[in-house]
Parts: sequence; C-alpha cells; structure tokens
Amino acid sequence: MRLRSAEICLILAFILSFIRHVCTVSINVNEVECVYEEILHEGDAVSGSFVVLDHEIFWTSDHPGIEMTVTSPAGQVVYSLKGTSGDKFKFKATYSGMYQFCFRNPISTPEVVSFHIHVGHIPDEHDLAKDEHLDPIYIKIAELREALESVTADQKYLKARNVRHRYTNLSIRKRVIFYTISEYFLLVGASTLQVMYIRRLFSDPANGRV
Amino acid sequence: MAGSLNSRAQVAVLSVMILLCLTGNNNIVPVTEAIWLNIPSSGTKCVSEEIQNNVVVLADYYVVDEAQPENPSTVSVRVTTPFGNNAHYNENVTHGQFAFTTTEAGNYLACFWLGNQQQGTSTTLSLDWRIGIAAKDWDSVAKKDKIEGVEFHLTRLEASVKAIHDNLLFLKHREAEMREVSEVTNSRVARFSIMSLGVCIVVSVLQLLHLKQFFHKKKLI
Repeated sequence: MRLRSAEICLILAFILSFIRHVCTVSINVNEVECVYEEILHEGDAVSGSFVVLDHEIFWTSDHPGIEMTVTSPAGQVVYSLKGTSGDKFKFKATYSGMYQFCFRNPISTPEVVSFHIHVGHIPDEHDLAKDEHLDPIYIKIAELREALESVTADQKYLKARNVRHRYTNLSIRKRVIFYTISEYFLLVGASTLQVMYIRRLFSDPANGRV
Repeated sequence: MAGSLNSRAQVAVLSVMILLCLTGNNNIVPVTEAIWLNIPSSGTKCVSEEIQNNVVVLADYYVVDEAQPENPSTVSVRVTTPFGNNAHYNENVTHGQFAFTTTEAGNYLACFWLGNQQQGTSTTLSLDWRIGIAAKDWDSVAKKDKIEGVEFHLTRLEASVKAIHDNLLFLKHREAEMREVSEVTNSRVARFSIMSLGVCIVVSVLQLLHLKQFFHKKKLI
C-alpha cells in the first residue's frame, strides 16, 4: 500500500488490519538465482507458482528440470521442488523474517523463470483482542481477499503456462516448415548425387565398360 | 499519479510506520512490500514481465546495504519497452522510482547493474514492481470518494474481481490464438508429409527414367 501522508497512514493503520503482499516477475536463471521476500507475521500462508519459459533452447526429455528451494530466516529448508518445469507451492511460514526463494539450474543454458509469490495474513482472535478498532467483519473480508488472491494466483500460473505453451507451438510451426523444406532439398540433392555417381561408374573407361 | 512521491516524505512516513510497529500493535500495515534481488558484481540483473497495452506500471527500488552505511552502493537501471524504446533510465542512484502507462503490448524489461563506485561487491536491491490494479492509488480514491472502512475494502475487492474477469477474457483470447496456430500446424504437418511422399516418388521416377535413357544411349540395354 502506498501511503501519502502521516495522517492517512494512521487512519488506514487502524482500519486495515490485514496485508496482502504480491509479486510477479520473471528473471533469468543461470546457475542459482535467489529472490528474498520479507514475511512479517508468523503463521502467514505463503503461496505462489513458478513456470520456466524457455523459448530459445528447448528441453529434451532427459532435462533434469529446475530446482526450487525456500529457506527460512533460521536457515532451514522449508520447501523444496526438484526437476519440474513449473509448479504451484504453498506453505505456512513458521517464522517471520526474510525468506529466500532460490532457483537452481543444473544445465548451463540460461532459463527464464516467471514466478509469483503471495503472502497472505488473516487476523485472528489474538489480534482482535489487542485492537478494539478491529471489527470481526475485517476477518471475513480478509478471508474473502485471500480467496480472490488465490484465484488471481491460479490465473497467473495459467497465464505463464500459456506463454510457455505458445513458445512451444511457435517453435513447432517453425520446425515443421524448416525440416520439411530442408528434407525436400536433401532428397533431391541425394538423388541427383546418386544419378551422377551411377553415370560416372558407367562412363569411366577405367572401369572396363564402354 | 502515484509515481510522484517525494523520497524524503517517504522516509518520514516509513519512520512513523516503524515507530507505530514498535509500539506493539501487530496489525499495522507493513513498511515494505518488495522483493529483494541480488545484483552481481559484474553483469546485469534483469527482471521482465509480459504486459498488455494500456496498463499502469509503477515501480520503486532502493539499495539495501547494511555493510557500509557511509558509502552506499549505487545502481543504474534501464527499462525498455518491447519495441526497444527506453522507458526509464537512471544511473548511479541509491533509490528511485518510475511510473508509466504501457503503449505497447509485450515483454517489458528492467535491468539493473552496479554503478561506477562499487565494482567487485554484489549488493542487494529492493524492488517493488506493481502493474495494473496493484498500482492503483487507493488512498486518493478513498479521499476523493470519501469512503472508508468496510465500504472501502469492498470497493477494492470489487476492483479485484473485475481484474480477475479481465484476466480471464485475456486468457480466453490467448487460448483462441494458440488453438488457431495449433490447427494450422496440424494441417501443415499432414500436407507437408504427403508432399514429401510425393516428392520422393517423383524423384525416384525421374531417376529411373534418366538412368534408362542413359543406358539406352550407352547401348547397355
């Protein structure tokens, strides 16, 4: 939320009792790329997705995939995904602090990874008791917002998968045309060479024939 | 628009927020809402997003450098549109922001690299990148329409639902485009394969005819 002046900030601070924290970008992954995200309350639900959009170099079926690990501020690995071309993830943050989302690319060709992270916080009764300005309806609004954010997150994942699929389709189209046209030329070239060789075999006086 | 916030006022607001946070009320809004990236000591770190036409893009970046507060690292940034135009360029700064409305649909790229001073050490950059509905200035809407509390939140949720609907329509349009490409590719594969069979047969018939003629000429047949 962008705050303009201190009094708006104070008013909104008492009205707004939940946060939502969203980020969607795509980055190049050469070997290891890490993105850090601050999670402010423990018990927040962190959800998101990442999709590898490769459009220059296409994976063969034996590509090991991209690895994603999430490390908590205490240094433990909270979540880990191996060998995928993209997936959704969801976990509950047990500590608050700076979490590290790392993507590792085992192959040396750079990949573009599009990821989306959402940190949602729903105020609970503990927060209700602390702040008398907090109306129970805000909890419901927070839950509604989290549900809408999960729909948006699914949409972003679909959109990223769609982009990847689009690159694949365009590459298929290009490959079909390129390989069939070059196949025609090679066929005609190979048969011409065959004919020329046979002619030479039969025309060469050193072979003993006419 | 939202991009014109003075950085000193922002620092003042942030310090007020930090103070409020420390007084024990856990429900206060957070001081930052950004991701942190590591800028390497050499080379650039680029962040990109595919954005449609006529969407508001708002970004705010600052260098997070606790190691040397008296000699902070600087970064340079360049934002390019999909057609190659320069949307924003800034060099050797510790913080900055930019805002623009997209006029071209495609992949927007924001690249960061270290400024002239700090070659050899990598730094951390905090980037707050928002597009579309997330970039909307809700407090000015609240002030203008004089709505607050539940009505304000429900207005935000309504805008969020509308954004979801627009996204869905966009996805539908994209899927239709892709379906067309797939169907064209399907018919092309069939057509080209049959044509290659035809080319194969034609070439072999020509070969046979030519060789027969050649052997006739050489009086071998």
